[in-house]
Amino acid sequence: NMSALVCRVVAFFCLLRASAAVFEDQVGKFDWRQQFVGNVRFAAFDAHSQASKKLLVATEKNIFASVNSRTGELFWRHVDKTGQDGQIDAMLVHGQDAVLVVGNGRLLRSWETNIGGLNWEVVMDTGSFQTAQLIGLADIVKFVAVLKKSAISLHYLSNGHQKWVENLPDSDTVQYQTVYSSGNGDVFVLGLVPHSHIVVVAYNIEDGEIMKQVSVEAPWITSLDSSCAVVGSAVLLCVDPVSSSLYTLQLNAEGRAEFVHIPLQSLDLEAEAGFHPVVIATQPHPARVPLKEFFLQLGPERFILLQLKDGAIAPLRDFNPANLVAFATTGEKTVAAVMSPKNETVSYFSHACSINLFSADTGRRLLDTTVTYNLDPNGGKLNRLFVLAFLKKDDSVGYRALVQTEDFALTFLQQPGRVVWVREEALADVVTMEMVDLPLTGTQAELEGEFGKKADGLLAMVLKRLSSQLILLQAWIGHLWKLFYDARKPRSHVKNEVTIETLARDEFNLQKMMVMVTASGKLFGIDSKSGTILWKHYLQNVQPNAAFKLMVQRTTAHFPHPPQCTLLIKDKDTGLGSLHVFNPIFGKKSHIALPTLPRPIQQSLLLPIMDQDYTKVLMLIDDQYKVTAFPSTKNVLQQLQEMASSIFFYLVDSSQGTLSGFRLRKDLSTELMWEVVIPAEVQKITLVKGKRANEHVHSQGRVMGDRSVLYKYLNPNLLAVVTESTDTHPERSFIGVFLIDGVTGRIIHEAVQRKARGPVHLVHSENWVVYEYWNTKSRRNEFSVLEQYEGTELYNSSVFSSLDRPHPPQVLQQSYIFPSPINTLEATLTEKGITSRHLLVGLPSGAILSLPKMFLDPRRPEVVSEQSREENLIPYAPEMPIRTEWFINYNQTVSRVKGIYTAPSGLESTCLVVAYGLDIYQTRVFPSKQFDVLKDDYDYMLISSVLLGLFFATMISKRLAEVKLLNRAWR
Amino acid sequence: MSSPGGQGGGALSTRGAGGARRMKWALELSLSNTRSRGDRQGGQGDTMYPIGYSDKPVPDTSVQETDRNLVEKRCWDVALGPLKQIPMNLFIMYMSGNTISIFPIMMVCMMAWRPIQALMSLSATFKLLESSSQQWLQGLVYLVGNLLGSALAIYKCQSMGLLPTHSSDWLAFIEPPQRMEIMGGGMVL
Repeated sequence: NMSALVCRVVAFFCLLRASAAVFEDQVGKFDWRQQFVGNVRFAAFDAHSQASKKLLVATEKNIFASVNSRTGELFWRHVDKTGQDGQIDAMLVHGQDAVLVVGNGRLLRSWETNIGGLNWEVVMDTGSFQTAQLIGLADIVKFVAVLKKSAISLHYLSNGHQKWVENLPDSDTVQYQTVYSSGNGDVFVLGLVPHSHIVVVAYNIEDGEIMKQVSVEAPWITSLDSSCAVVGSAVLLCVDPVSSSLYTLQLNAEGRAEFVHIPLQSLDLEAEAGFHPVVIATQPHPARVPLKEFFLQLGPERFILLQLKDGAIAPLRDFNPANLVAFATTGEKTVAAVMSPKNETVSYFSHACSINLFSADTGRRLLDTTVTYNLDPNGGKLNRLFVLAFLKKDDSVGYRALVQTEDFALTFLQQPGRVVWVREEALADVVTMEMVDLPLTGTQAELEGEFGKKADGLLAMVLKRLSSQLILLQAWIGHLWKLFYDARKPRSHVKNEVTIETLARDEFNLQKMMVMVTASGKLFGIDSKSGTILWKHYLQNVQPNAAFKLMVQRTTAHFPHPPQCTLLIKDKDTGLGSLHVFNPIFGKKSHIALPTLPRPIQQSLLLPIMDQDYTKVLMLIDDQYKVTAFPSTKNVLQQLQEMASSIFFYLVDSSQGTLSGFRLRKDLSTELMWEVVIPAEVQKITLVKGKRANEHVHSQGRVMGDRSVLYKYLNPNLLAVVTESTDTHPERSFIGVFLIDGVTGRIIHEAVQRKARGPVHLVHSENWVVYEYWNTKSRRNEFSVLEQYEGTELYNSSVFSSLDRPHPPQVLQQSYIFPSPINTLEATLTEKGITSRHLLVGLPSGAILSLPKMFLDPRRPEVVSEQSREENLIPYAPEMPIRTEWFINYNQTVSRVKGIYTAPSGLESTCLVVAYGLDIYQTRVFPSKQFDVLKDDYDYMLISSVLLGLFFATMISKRLAEVKLLNRAWR
Repeated sequence: MSSPGGQGGGALSTRGAGGARRMKWALELSLSNTRSRGDRQGGQGDTMYPIGYSDKPVPDTSVQETDRNLVEKRCWDVALGPLKQIPMNLFIMYMSGNTISIFPIMMVCMMAWRPIQALMSLSATFKLLESSSQQWLQGLVYLVGNLLGSALAIYKCQSMGLLPTHSSDWLAFIEPPQRMEIMGGGMVL
């Protein structure tokens, strides 16, 4: 049938036009991806061979990965489920096997560390996980013991099969916490009843039979984890902070066992007041006895190396001050690495540190083992130290060290203090970001300044113009000279590094500064072109669950005033907010006087009002609806007073289910204008979205088939509010979408979608709202689009005021089936809004789909007509396609994509996109193709040679024609 | 009305048509072919005439009444030319259709350009018509014909949708409305 055929042809051509994939040779040209793993919980060096360069890490983000210790790049990475299900409880590395306990002891997995393949996986019995330990027998590591709250099980290391599982005696009263074995056929399980006694159970490694079970009086004991360790040949060593003494217990003693009490004073030692001493011991090989030597930490900066010999404890060396200690074993040698502040007089806040190796058995310092390390002053404090020791050719011990700091950074150090690489794992959890234009270069600024300044006489202006031209000429000659100079050097040396000094805006403003705020409180400035971290700043004392809001108060456009960003940090517990004001290009903290914020902050609002120094005014609303302005100069206050009657703000309290609108009064107090209550017991407000402030809409309407105009309802104050029902039963659950005017509180549109469930992802832009939800009836994901139109007449074409809009808009809606759940949704944004819009959909698979908005158009007709064809409307089809060529990140998947940020560039066709989640991916998209630049593969040679050829052909043929004419004239 | 001189063949040659030998040079004012000339020359013998000589009497060329009528007729031809083209144009219009592609556009351009060109060179046309007695009437007809032609072109543009007569054609020039209120806020942090 003809119409269906026409439909298909039309759709096909629309698709052809919309395809936006990159070509193979464009890969990596303007996009980059960085992969992260998150804050490291367990780290181990793969030390089974000398040449190995692998570092195995298991992180708080439930990721198990292998890092190349030469470059810091990932060899491989396994991303598990988020939350409790994928949590990595323990990591044990032996040879080429890494055994992980996952999901509170639910799964036991063994990974092959070379290529990251799974050796085996077993599902274990339920029970809360306590600890896991490698167990050796006769010098060979054969088993993994997993201790749960009420049972211990032994698994073969080679295939994961369970050898035996035994219930623990009296597990309802005794807390079992530690497993110990020295490879002699016994497995000791240690448990305790706090303030009462310790229980030691010895199992036979072969059949799990209880060999021995003793309980030892220990009224001082509170925990086994940090205050106890097995040292030497089966001696349990505990430290009691209350009596400030050590206790030792021979585990395999025949007959009645008892703790031996050794007061710290007898060793001339004393714990610092209020500090819980910690025992740090090591068992270099699971099939052999632990080391006799151990560290005792007596204060935040005091470590003592002690030795247990024949039941007696002897101090070997006192490290004071020392930041971190770690044991490392290579071959038969075990060394202790101690990191201490370099300048011993200034201790904790000193930024230079040095790491030294000490022989573990004597406490003697090993020569030529010092590594100096300069702590980043903008980074966090030291957290942990991992040391990879190896034997050099001359049999001395060399090492490399991995330092973990509080800001989730990993620094890999090599002798004598070279930083091999740094991984900023805070970037695995970006909360919010902004893109800031780079500053102009000196010459550009000079030219800009010429236009900006007031004219002062003709001659002066001519002179100024001449001088700036001269500067430009100078810069150009300098550039030429550099080109010439570089051309003589080999190609590899020319590679220009991006540094903060060489930063300058490019021709089309495609290179920007990405300011990223991470959940750990570390801020980053990243060059969008290369992905280089140009600055970082760690904010100390930020709560882990704090709320952040980043605002650009002054852009780069106001030379010579530096750009200014403000980060509002709200402490979730106290509700108090604080401001961090910084220069987004250099990351330096600004020394502007900050307002005092004594009351909890509810929201903030960036006004388009500017101070004399072009700083936009930030309004902070506290819990009594009082407003604090920042900056609050006289000029600002005066402007605020003048404009007060037209400044509105709204607050949404999700727990109360209220939306309230306020208006500013002249004295910076506020008055309640409207309130909408959505009963919180029936439905919960989950999402409120206004329009982006920097969005431009070029076309005020849509051209219809009969060439009349359907004008868009472009209300800048419109809010899209999403509610979800509290009842989650599939038959009764629903979602509600409200369009509310933020100034008047008028509900413009209201839609309830029955049998639908969240999470709802929503984009609100121009005159449309696109949202995605789960349809519980059909059990599928659906997209829905709402578009608002004023009709064929504009009410007021020059001014938009929410207070004067008598006619409600026409609202059109259409829904589509989407074949995948989504993680995040965002729309492209361009400078002038001429380019057609695409939706960027972050899929759980890690792909980012660029979906033309054209497909989400409620005017798509079910029956094709002449007019709809004229309008280029695609006939309605319920299924929304996912085409692989729409994936803007081809195979560069972004794991756990959490957000997408879009920013306009200087080119109308180009939109900058940053997708963040576990990884960060930056690219450019061209929703309407690159209509304003020549293509990459534009054949300049061909065109210029054709032009030249034609020119010469014209010259020659002209000459020939002249000669011929002359000849003819003579004939 | 053929000129009698043309027939006579004011042929000039240094030698007679003595055979197939090539001449060094020859001037021939006659356009008739050699055979006929040869025939005639054969009839006339070897007599040589000066250039421009005609052996027939020159007819009376004084202006006669019939010529005046002819001029009038000619002028009417000129004046009615544009009108006569209109049916042809209508046919072309019908054939080219309303789609916007290169050929219809070329047709429309031609149709629009010709009357405009004619109107621009109106004074020259008037000079041409000067000799006619009905000069003004003819001029008017000529003008009307051209105006009709351009009206036809405009109509064609209209039916092709090339004229900015709809509100949608001015959509791009509408400025975004100015915002009267400043609004912001969000969920309680």
